[in-house]
Amino acid sequence: MSEIKKIHDMLSSKQISCKELTEKYLEQIESANKELNAYVNVTADTALLQAEKVDKKIFEGEEIGLLEGVPMTLKDNLSTKGIETTCCSKILTGYKPIYNATVWDKLESDGAVLLGKTNMDEFAMGSSCETSYFGGATNPFNTKHCAGGSSGGVASAVAGNIAPYGLGSDTGGSIRQPASFCGVVGLKPTYGAVSRYGLIAYASSLDQIGPITKTVEDASIVFDAISDYDTKDSTCQGRKGRKTYDTVNDDIKGMKIGIAREYLEGIRDDVKEAVLNAVKVYESLGAEIIYFDMPALKFALPVYYIIACAEASSNLGRYDGIRYGFKAEHYNGTHDMMCRTRSEGFGEEVKRRILLGTYVLSAGYYDAYYKKAQNLRGTIVKAFDSAFTKCDFVLAPTVPMTAFEMGHAVSDPVETYLTDICTVPVNIAGLPAVSIPCGFNSKGMPIGMQLIGNKFSEATILNAANAYEKAAGENFKETKWGVKL
Amino acid sequence: MVTREDVENIAILSKLFVAEEELDGLTKQMQEIVEFADAINNAPDSGEDFDNINNLSNVFRDDVVVPSYPSEEILKNAPEQAEDHFLVRNHN
Repeated sequence: MSEIKKIHDMLSSKQISCKELTEKYLEQIESANKELNAYVNVTADTALLQAEKVDKKIFEGEEIGLLEGVPMTLKDNLSTKGIETTCCSKILTGYKPIYNATVWDKLESDGAVLLGKTNMDEFAMGSSCETSYFGGATNPFNTKHCAGGSSGGVASAVAGNIAPYGLGSDTGGSIRQPASFCGVVGLKPTYGAVSRYGLIAYASSLDQIGPITKTVEDASIVFDAISDYDTKDSTCQGRKGRKTYDTVNDDIKGMKIGIAREYLEGIRDDVKEAVLNAVKVYESLGAEIIYFDMPALKFALPVYYIIACAEASSNLGRYDGIRYGFKAEHYNGTHDMMCRTRSEGFGEEVKRRILLGTYVLSAGYYDAYYKKAQNLRGTIVKAFDSAFTKCDFVLAPTVPMTAFEMGHAVSDPVETYLTDICTVPVNIAGLPAVSIPCGFNSKGMPIGMQLIGNKFSEATILNAANAYEKAAGENFKETKWGVKL
Repeated sequence: MVTREDVENIAILSKLFVAEEELDGLTKQMQEIVEFADAINNAPDSGEDFDNINNLSNVFRDDVVVPSYPSEEILKNAPEQAEDHFLVRNHN
């Protein structure tokens, strides 16, 4: 059952007022956030003001939209007019955008109630949320473990019931990986399906905004609300075809599911077992399973890190201490001012990626790294094109393991990069993918799998994901935290 | 092979300071990351260059004049401002 619909019904039938509901969430944030660290900024006043507006409408007998009055959260790299937006970096502390990200403009006009901004790896660079200037978000299934990253705050808030849903961004897995670690649903849409205007850029040819939710139906509802053409993002084409919600409950009998053998190599046994059990569930639902090889996948990880860092080194050039955010206190000359501002303002992982990006773009290395990576990007795109001539979607683990313990990810950069092996090919090829829970390991930590679709086929993967949720709902578990509806 | 000099040079290009005591550790880390990236050298060349993900080119729209943001709003985020401009001091 959709959490959003449940709340909508409660509000419409006046079982609870929007203000009471919002206050419940704010109270639970106050207590749960001490341990989860999911929120970095709680916008109680904005939320209550919006809630009162919705209540007035209901009181006057007007009908409300599906998302109207439903509380939610935004990752802290999505611009919110007049509300501090930091990317969880020291360099953007105090920055209050003067405009909204298009996705927030759309949801705000739909009547969404913004509870606050959520934690993330600094500039979305990380896989555990721990590169955040504010410290990492923890996992509601076990707070000794991280929530994943980079959209760890949204995933932790949704799994911890201190937000019914939220929006994150996914450059190399940043929606799907924390969704997998926290046992919730995360949708990374097709490159170009959702406007990125107002998303603070990390790697522009890879970044996409998408929802993190409790159920697949919720992901479908939110995706339909935000996937629209936007003149402010020239790469944005919007959703193609009908609303995904129209077909999310269709029968999946006869659907062809592809499994690339490479995705099952180097995966922890418990993760592999859970994914193969899900395959059996799909077979019982009448889907056909097709195995094949995709050798191009083995280059995906270095291709991703080269392209992402190259683009990041350029995108992050704008932080110079002049126009917004943090500025170094003492300096001697403008070059010195910029160097000191950037060195004091950026964290270690961000600096590492800027340096690597600058290296692969610099004279003498450009051809060997950046150009070669772009060339291989084309090869990976073609490998997926060929896969989709054989199947309707590709099924794969989301992450090779379950959530790491806090502190584990920060110790070795390369080892941490390796954990992104299953998620990055989707961004390289610009495809949509949804991560859904498919089991638990022996310690009770959630395992996730992803359904990867062809471009603009969100309807297909959400339909198939929902069919699994209905057949194997025991894998969508509640945590002890937060608001109980 | 990434050398200390490489890291110093990239740091200048990146407008970042690397303190003397950080240089060895960072050079080692960069070397490890570059070795990991070197895996692509063994990959076969696809023979054509990738352009962009949805093969978009020249996305046009009508040139409609809309109000811009007032400069005083924009300047509110600046660490220092003076006379409707961003202020950049040479020394501080």
